[in-house]
Order: sequence, then structure tokens, then C-alpha cells
Amino acid sequence: MTFRQSHLALPVAVAIMAGCIAPLAVLVAFSFYEVEDFDLIPAFSFRAWGDLATSTTDWFLIGKAVLSGVATTVFTALLGFPVALALTRLATSAKGLAIIVLLTPLYTGEIVRIYAWRIVLGGEGLVNTLLLGLGLIDEPLKFLLFSPFTIGLVLTYNNLPFMVLAIWVSAEMVDRRLIEAARDLGARPVDAFFRVIFPLTTPGLAAGSLTVFALSAGEMLTPSLLGGTSGATAMALVDNLFGTAFDWPLASALALALLATLFLVASAMAGLLLRLKGARAVIGRA
Amino acid sequence: MNSRMEKRTEPALSPLLLAMRGVVKTFGRSTAVDGIDLDVPERAFLTLLGPSGCGKTTVLRMIAGFETPDAGDMRLDNTPLAGVPPERRPVNTVFQSYALFPHLTVNENVAFALKLRGGVPDIPARVRRALEAVHMTDFGDRYPHQLSGGQQQRVAVARSIIAEPRLLLLDEPLSALDRKMRGHLQIELKALQRRLGIAFVYVTHDQEEAFALSDIVVVMNKGRIAQKADPQTIYSRPADSFVADFIGNSTLVEGRILERRGDMATIGTPLGDITAPVADGLAGGEAAMLVIRPELLSTRGEGPATFSGIVNNCVFQGERNMVQAEVAGIPLRFAAEAPHAAGTSVALWLDADHSFITRIAT
Repeated sequence: MTFRQSHLALPVAVAIMAGCIAPLAVLVAFSFYEVEDFDLIPAFSFRAWGDLATSTTDWFLIGKAVLSGVATTVFTALLGFPVALALTRLATSAKGLAIIVLLTPLYTGEIVRIYAWRIVLGGEGLVNTLLLGLGLIDEPLKFLLFSPFTIGLVLTYNNLPFMVLAIWVSAEMVDRRLIEAARDLGARPVDAFFRVIFPLTTPGLAAGSLTVFALSAGEMLTPSLLGGTSGATAMALVDNLFGTAFDWPLASALALALLATLFLVASAMAGLLLRLKGARAVIGRA
Repeated sequence: MNSRMEKRTEPALSPLLLAMRGVVKTFGRSTAVDGIDLDVPERAFLTLLGPSGCGKTTVLRMIAGFETPDAGDMRLDNTPLAGVPPERRPVNTVFQSYALFPHLTVNENVAFALKLRGGVPDIPARVRRALEAVHMTDFGDRYPHQLSGGQQQRVAVARSIIAEPRLLLLDEPLSALDRKMRGHLQIELKALQRRLGIAFVYVTHDQEEAFALSDIVVVMNKGRIAQKADPQTIYSRPADSFVADFIGNSTLVEGRILERRGDMATIGTPLGDITAPVADGLAGGEAAMLVIRPELLSTRGEGPATFSGIVNNCVFQGERNMVQAEVAGIPLRFAAEAPHAAGTSVALWLDADHSFITRIAT
């Protein structure tokens, strides 16, 4: 067997098989187990899958995970594109600094950030105090903290760097002359963006979208600590089922259903974005 | 045709298409264009010729609207260009790197300018005509990466002429092609320019290309125009030693003008005193440069030989040999049919009446 470049991926492929596929297989097995007196009994039971199929709560939470992932992806893409394009226009030395600054929030750690948000968004927090002081509002805005708004805001904030980085790398690859050619041929800056820059940065958008979707759809900590009553997630339910509720079969079935759903949505997203003409032109030459 | 530009402020009286006056452009501390005046008449094929860094591409980019002059005035059809963005100038560019859109087919690339305008009737027919003009009709459905360099260049030309610009700018469009393809495309570009009647402003560092194509050659040096004239004049009467050095294989011999009589002068040089046509404005006593082009030296002639020298180099160039011989410490280049061995002595006759005495470039 001769050595090919694709063989370089073998170690990682093996690691994924061992670290991901094997545990999944264990989950599949568990999902058919029975629970009796806090004991897992190997059996071929469809009890867990039956419970899952008839549970509206479970499917609502899976749908919520998808929605949360898609919404975060869309928000980060809308906010990230201008930032990524602005980055490409910076001088080389400024770019390095800008990237470091962009990633600064990630160094602080999730718990620290979550409590910082509470301080900023709370009833007596920074934003409310400021707005009250300016006389723009008469009483504190309640929706700022422990609401779906908070979850959306924080998930978007947390994931924005990943989207910006992915689009930025892609945008750097777009030849500046193509933009000049478009302008020369009569394109206003906005036309040049939609007809040239955007199509040619779709690979970066796809990479960023898949990353952000995966990170935000499965997020548990932010919703449960900042979302208040709206903070229930499928992930938290899985955690609960494996832990206090001790229903490993149902936990396994729910985890598998969630995984399969997110996998399908992500595949659809990737297929859609990478089928675009611009993406094919950039990555589809082989 | 002028729909893309603001309305004319007054009718154009002269056939002058583009006028640049005192245009300056600096990048940081370096001055790329240092106060140039340039006129481009209608239908002209004008070439900006010069070494890299002379400012020729910056001039082109200012005409296209990609760079803003720091000072000076630019008018197209007598309308000021200041503040007019590239997309509103009736000017199109053929880029050195072709800059074809990789995600669009040849047809879509060529149709780009028309589709942007909206409401243009019969785009497919116009695309076909533009591709016909560059002999690329069979390639409409291909993507740029499926084309050779020469084919990509043809598509780039088709794309830039479809909107019928008043002025076409070409930035070293043939520099990435091999010699043979370059020759073909030179002939085609010249024919296309005549047929369309569009003025071309062409940037190149290749003097042969400039001479082959142009009605007017503008030689640039350090951000300034060194000479602007027809190719024959540039070749036979270079305005200064920079132009003489840049455009040919000439030998430049520094000397001092001993005496001037009308259009002729006698210059004292290490090679001896030589009487030749002289540039305007040079007077007796001034330092000047004698320009001896290779074809003015011959190994045969009447009367006594002008120089005798020792051959120190001979390069076979196909149809001829380029020989270098040293005379009084100065290497003289000349063309010869027969090869000359290094170290042999050679007698040379100079056709002084066709050589030229020019000023020394600052």
C-alpha cells in the first residue's frame, strides 16, 4: 500500500472511532435496557424509545435546541460578516491585535462570563442603572435577564468570535482585484458584496455556521444560569435523567435523538451552503 | 453612452477624451506620480511605458477611479472625474491578473456589467458579440479555471468592452503570457481597437510591445513623463538619456557639446568628436549624451572606419548576432550577421547622421 495524503487523517479517524463511535454504540445499547430498583438490567426493551416518542416535552426541547442553534448561527453570521470584512482591511500588524482582542472573551471562562452578564443585565445592573439614570425608562427592564432574550444575546456573544474567524479567513482569500473588477464593471459596493465577496466567502460562512450551530445547539450552562424559567434544555434533561432521575435508557434515547436531529440539521446546512456556486468555485476544483 | 456619468457640464469641443493636469499621487512618503499632464485623444492607442515603480500603473488606477489624486485635475469628456466612483466612470479595465470571477461562467463574467445595469435588452446576443470579437464564442459555459491564460485574457477583454466604455484601460494585460501568445494577442488587440474606435490606455514595461501597438507612447520615469511622442520619434529622438537607455540596446556615451549649428551639433566624447542631430534646447558647452543605436554601427563602410575596437562578447539571437566591442574603454553594441570571436579586433563605421545627441536625465 503506497502512502497517500489522505492517510494522514488515519490517526484522527481512529481516535474519533474510539472516542465517539464506541460510546455511541454503548448509548444505543443502554437505550434498550430496563431500569428496576435503581439497577440497569440488560434487556431488549423499547420502553425508553416509547416514552421518548410520546413525550411532547422531549421533542419540544429537541426543537428548542435546533432553534437556538439556528438562531445563534443566523445572528452571528449577520453580525460577523461586517466585522470579518473590516478585519481584512486592517494593516497586517493591526490584524494580529484585532484577532487577539476578538478572542479575549473566550479566555475568561464561561462561569465568569455568566456572572458578569448577571451584573450587566440584572434589575440593578449596569444597563438598567444607566437607562434609568438617563431617564429613558421609569422602571428596570425585566426582559434583560432570565429570559429568551438573554439566552439569545449571550449565545450570540459567546459564539461570535468563531463565526468572525471563519468568515475572516475566507474573506482574506478573496482577491482584492476581483472587487476592483466588479466596481470597474459598474458594481456599487453593495453589489460587489452580494455578487462577488459573499459568494466567494461561503466556505468560511459554512465552516463558521457548522461550528456555531454545534456549540450553541448543545449549550446547557448559559440557558440554565441566565435563562430563568425559559432556560430548560434537552441537554439539561439528559443530565438530569442520567443523574438524579436514574433513567439511563431514556437518557440514552433522548441523547441519541438529539444527536441525530442536530446531525441532520447540520448536514442540511452544510449541503446547502457548500452547494452554492461560490463555494464550489473556491473548494470544488479537484 | 454617457449614461453612467453625471451630465456633461459643457459640450466637448476638441476630440480630447481625457485630460490630466498637474496630477500628483503619493503613498506615505513615496511620490508615485509627481505632477503629470496627460492628454488622451479620442480613438487613440496610448501606451504608458516605463520600468516598474515609475508610476504608470498608478496613473491607470487614478483614471479607473481606484486611487484618488492628491492634487491636480482630471477630466473625461470635459467632465471632472473628482469624486466619481469607479462604477460611475465610462471606463473599463483589463487587469494584469485578468481578475475573472471564478464562480461565474465565461458568459456570466462577460454579462456582468450589463446585468448590473438592469433592463438591458438582449444580453445573450451582446455577450455573444463580445465573445465573437475575441474568438471565444465556443467557451461561454466554461469556468475561468478551465481556460488557458490566453483564453482568460480574451474573456477579460470581452468583459471589459461589452459596456462600450469611452476609454479602455489595460494594465500589462499580456505580461503573464508566453512570447508567441503575446504576439498573437498584440495583433488582435490592435485590430480590435481600430474596429471599436475606443481609446485604449495601455500600460507596459515592454518597449517592443509599446512600439508595436501605440499611436502615442508616453515614457515615464520616477513619477514623471520623460517623453510623449509617436513610437518613431521616441526611438530615433529620445528626449533624454533615460528614454534612450530604456527603449533599446543603445550605447550611451557622455560628452560635452562643442558646437551647435541648427539641428546638428558636434559632441566631444571619449570616442572622439562626433557630429549628429541634437535635441532642442541643448547649447554649446553643455554636457550631453550621444545615443548610438546598434543598427547604426556597421562592420563595413566607405572611407576610413569611425572606430576600431576589440570584441568582448557575442550573443547569437537567431536572425543576427548582438556583438559588444570595446572602443576607448566604452562597450559599443552592434548587430552583425556573422558571429565575432571574443578578442578579435573589429573596424566599425557609424551612421552619425541617424544617431542622436540628447540631454542627460536627472
